[in-house]
Amino acid sequence: MRKFDRYARRKLLSRIIAVLTGLCVIAVLYPLVSIVYESFALGGAVLFQAQFLTTQAPNGCSVIACQTVGIGPAVQGTLIVVGLAAGISVPVGVLAAIFASEYRVRGLGRAVSFTADVLTGVPSIIMGAFIYGYFVIYDPQIALSFYTGALALSAIMIPIVVRTTEEALRVVPNSVREAAMALGISKWKATLRIVLVASLPGVATGVLLAVMRAAGEAAPLLFTLGYSTLWFTSLSHPGANLPILIYTFALSEYSNQVKVAWGATLFLLILILVVNVVSRLMIHRMRVRMGGI
Amino acid sequence: MNADPLADTGRPRGYDLEIRQLKARAVAMGEWALGMVRDGWRAFSEGDLVAAQAVLDRGSELDRLDEDIEHAAIAFLVLRQPTAGDLRTAAGLLKITTHIDRIGRLGFDMARITTVGPPNEPADLREILERMDTVVESMVSQSLEALGHDRADLARDLFRRDDEVDQFHRDANRIILRELNAKTGNTTRVADDLLVARHFERIADNACKVGEKTVYALTGQRRSEYLPRHRYIPYILEGPTPRTRDNPPPG
Amino acid sequence: MNPTKLKVDHLTAYYSEKAAITDVSIEFPERAVSAIIGPSGCGKSTLIRCLNRMHETVVRTRVEGQVLLDSEDIYQLDPVRVRRRIGMVFQKPNPFVTMSIYNNVSAALRFNGRPSREETDRQVVRSLQQAALWDEVKERIDAPAVSLSGGQQQRLCIARALAAEPEVLLMDEPCSALDPIATAKIEDLIKQLKTEYTLVIVTHNMQQAARVADYTAFMYLGKLIEFGPTEELFERPKDSLTEAYITGRFG
Repeated sequence: MRKFDRYARRKLLSRIIAVLTGLCVIAVLYPLVSIVYESFALGGAVLFQAQFLTTQAPNGCSVIACQTVGIGPAVQGTLIVVGLAAGISVPVGVLAAIFASEYRVRGLGRAVSFTADVLTGVPSIIMGAFIYGYFVIYDPQIALSFYTGALALSAIMIPIVVRTTEEALRVVPNSVREAAMALGISKWKATLRIVLVASLPGVATGVLLAVMRAAGEAAPLLFTLGYSTLWFTSLSHPGANLPILIYTFALSEYSNQVKVAWGATLFLLILILVVNVVSRLMIHRMRVRMGGI
Repeated sequence: MNADPLADTGRPRGYDLEIRQLKARAVAMGEWALGMVRDGWRAFSEGDLVAAQAVLDRGSELDRLDEDIEHAAIAFLVLRQPTAGDLRTAAGLLKITTHIDRIGRLGFDMARITTVGPPNEPADLREILERMDTVVESMVSQSLEALGHDRADLARDLFRRDDEVDQFHRDANRIILRELNAKTGNTTRVADDLLVARHFERIADNACKVGEKTVYALTGQRRSEYLPRHRYIPYILEGPTPRTRDNPPPG
Repeated sequence: MNPTKLKVDHLTAYYSEKAAITDVSIEFPERAVSAIIGPSGCGKSTLIRCLNRMHETVVRTRVEGQVLLDSEDIYQLDPVRVRRRIGMVFQKPNPFVTMSIYNNVSAALRFNGRPSREETDRQVVRSLQQAALWDEVKERIDAPAVSLSGGQQQRLCIARALAAEPEVLLMDEPCSALDPIATAKIEDLIKQLKTEYTLVIVTHNMQQAARVADYTAFMYLGKLIEFGPTEELFERPKDSLTEAYITGRFG
């Protein structure tokens, strides 16, 4: 009878743990599911209106005219600023990572890694405020512009790119580097054209992560790219962008604009999802073609 | 740090045990062959047919021992792929057992020509043959001791003693020729003695060969490295010893 | 003995103040195979990695002494150029996994100069033929390198190293990751290659050294104990430490 008790107790305990972990899963998934659901519920209708991506608020926004439905300029602005930021952070981040992991210059590499680690934890609003503050002092003309917006986003993206690239490089086995060196291939050529190429899927994943993070950040853009409802004019002017639009319209008193905010949220979610899926597919194909690192 | 790899740990290392066993078997075969020589001579010298037959019966065992050692040595070479001293010993033993086999065969042959006739050769001939027997048996014993106890010095010494046996051989043949020319009526016996003297000389030679291979197994030295070139003195019984480039006239 | 191609002169190599090899001097003859044997930790891998300046790619290493390739000290030359003249094949086959067979073999050519497509093609075919791999891959030369078996991958690495047209080929235990049949093919390959190249091979397999090498060096605890023609070293080594190692008494 004693053995039976122990067995029954164990089964009961297992069941309790299973239920608890199940509840935790629900707790984790609930916010995600509810965000998606709410976005659909509140913004779905707006999304499918024909002018959603193409209209803009007319100049001289009157109370009536500001009840606009279009987010076209915001999408354009986001694409430009993220693209610019990527153009800065990918080369800088990748080269910094290469320096950190391949060229061991007296602990400088470790300093770079450590710095990148710390920076990933810095609140993004501080990045924005820092860039703004700097430019307000030294070049107030472009304190609010695509330039500073891109810089602020880069400040967030670079640490991510550095860390993921470093990891991807580390995964490449040393035998590859040794083989290249033993063939009399100089170190920089070997690093760029063999090692980096071998770690490309990992690097691409890191870039993807950084881009997605940057696309969604509102805080750094608050003081840099700013707010606008106009189509793109020039890089040294502030511009429209999705996160700030959502922020602004969500707080608006006009229900139309609130709906647009939800529509923009949904749009951003879908955009991120699509970019994610497509990129991962491409990365997977890259991995297969390379025969599996 | 690391222990000295050459230090004697008191335990057998590498193929020590197998090598020792191979050598022990060769020595045992040598003892068997030596016994055949000893008893073969005695049977012949006393005309004892029963003793002679006993020696003849030991021949098959000699063959068996030879084959066993050959098999064991080859298996050792194939399975262990030995090098250096182990290799030289295993390869050397294959040849050593051939020589030991010949030694036993020669004792066998001595027994085989035993007849029931009286041992009626002249006393001086008989004495020489007795002394040949003593020296030759001692040489075989010495070669076996050199082999069994890793004594390269004893092995090299055999060549010196071989010269002694050669001298006895020449003396014996001189007497035999004398007897045959004199036609004294014991021709058969004396003719048999001629053969026996020859057998003794061969046994001594084979014992030297055993020694030579033993030196090779132990040190890797080949004969030319420790012996002066062999002086092949032509076999002439009468007249002055001919002088050759290696045996120049004195002065 | 052929003239010396690669001369090691009082070489000492350090890993952070600890000497892995001490005062080693060897002369490797050209167009011959030299093997380096010894127990784990004896410094044989360190030595071979000093011969093409791979040793210094590890942090905090230092080298004293000289390594002369045709009388030029390689430590006074550009290391990248040195490694084009002295190639290396590693223990575990390490083809560039992201590249095809063709791209692997032509890597040295593509990265170190810009020869024409025809020239590259010719070199690739030639190198694969030299490595006895051409017949097996000629139908699928653009297939990924990882689609080959272990033994084929190792031959691919040899072809890749040969494509750079080195004068000396170093091999660090080239067969230890391979099965016996692949090993036999590589050993045959080594015997063919020595007509054109100077080869230095590290191996822990003494029978392999005995099979393929003309000369063998025995190292122990960072020092060179003995170097000489392989036959001599394995039949009659001069040093008792060498004999103790090759007969399995230690290590």
